[in-house]
Amino acid sequence: MAKPIKTVSTVVSRIEELGNETKRFILVDQDDWELPPFKPGAHIDVHLSPGLVRTYSLCNEPEDNRRYVIAVKRERDGRGGSAFLHDRVREGDHIGVSIPRGGIPLNLTAMNVFVAGGIGVTPFISAVRHLERRGRTNYTLYWTSRGGPVLPDMIRPAIEAGRVHLYDTTSEAKPVIAEIVKECADSGFAACCGPEAMLQAFESAVENWTDDRKHIEMFTPPKRIAQSDVPPYELVLVASKKQGTVLPEVGLLGTLEAMGVDVPVSCGGGICGACRTRWVEGPPIHRDRVLSPAERQSELIVCVGDCAGPKLVLDL
Amino acid sequence: MCILKGDTMDAIAAEKSPVATSWQGVVRFLHKTPRAFLPMRSFPELELIAGRGIEGDRYLQETGFYSHKPEEGRQVTLFEMETLEALRRDHGIELLPEEHRRNVTVEGVPLNHLVGRRFRLGEIIVEATRLSTPCRHIEEILGKAVFDPLINRSGLNCKIIAGGTLRVGDIVRPL
Repeated sequence: MAKPIKTVSTVVSRIEELGNETKRFILVDQDDWELPPFKPGAHIDVHLSPGLVRTYSLCNEPEDNRRYVIAVKRERDGRGGSAFLHDRVREGDHIGVSIPRGGIPLNLTAMNVFVAGGIGVTPFISAVRHLERRGRTNYTLYWTSRGGPVLPDMIRPAIEAGRVHLYDTTSEAKPVIAEIVKECADSGFAACCGPEAMLQAFESAVENWTDDRKHIEMFTPPKRIAQSDVPPYELVLVASKKQGTVLPEVGLLGTLEAMGVDVPVSCGGGICGACRTRWVEGPPIHRDRVLSPAERQSELIVCVGDCAGPKLVLDL
Repeated sequence: MCILKGDTMDAIAAEKSPVATSWQGVVRFLHKTPRAFLPMRSFPELELIAGRGIEGDRYLQETGFYSHKPEEGRQVTLFEMETLEALRRDHGIELLPEEHRRNVTVEGVPLNHLVGRRFRLGEIIVEATRLSTPCRHIEEILGKAVFDPLINRSGLNCKIIAGGTLRVGDIVRPL
């Protein structure tokens, strides 16, 4: 029997050296099919090897829908993701990625100010390409980097048109972010992605702005399907003799998956009954629309279930 | 001995069973995709293979999201145009024919009443095995909150009894 497919299957069609210890990776479908859609500045999880999953912004724009372009700078003190991509990944390799998520909520009519530091420019490359493709010039990108910028070829027309301000911090001063965002202080939108100090300066500069007018690009976890709103509880599996703790941010199903338990989930929303499981100790919290009151006395739909007490024991 | 052609036999069946012929629909859109998560692509025609599935589609190739749960009765899936209209009208959700991830979008066909029955899609004969259930997988792909609105109208799973080429515009009718 085939294994469950949990990622988008892609092939590394091209790897380019960009200098400054940065590489660009082009991921495509093996048959050049369209890839799942995304918003400008969205990001994907790249599944490099078991337990090694890293998140990168897409540099290309939504209309360019047959490839995912990511740029990765080698992080000397990183946790291994960039080193793996730089040293181990080759053209032709198959890589699983998540469905894209997130994105920058652009203002299509008022001014957009983008503040980027180094490789943090990647989501704004996507945004600039998206706006330029639509013939829109209502933005300015302020981009600082140590040495020459690494992805100028992707936004060359915007640079030549003066809509991108480049700062090489090895030879010139960094721009003052509080001054930059004044450009759209009364209306418009501002976004920032870069090192911690830059993010803090930006946050301080837009502190009094309404949330819909500012965006700090950070990699967010996937949207949770069934948000658990109960305190942590112990999970015991009697058949497989395993136990763990269910945290609200992981949930029952996520915990079972992390414990390596193969639960036959189908709908993921509590209506199909595929993950019906016998419970021994609880009481469980039922959120399904499948089980009768009598069935709930001994069974639980785990994809949406939880526990009302300190311990849930399942017959798994 | 008189050998009747398929159309003639259908006509006789219609005379004998007026209830069974009280509807007639049409194929509006055809879609398939080769792998899980990839967008569905529209085609003017699809090749349906009896007992197997749709040529080039992910479930024939065992590369679909649910391929680890093989199901004979899910060789081709259908969806009602009327549901797309209802989502727009009742929930303000714009769900496009390529987004519901079923293969055949039909109009004028009461899919929920056909479980257990055989009917024609153009020259093809299918047998409806069960109603499709919505899944969070679609919400994940689309970023649209369609799970609840699609309960009880998420389409029909069918087995292909007699295969052939299915085209947009083909008539859908009882057998």
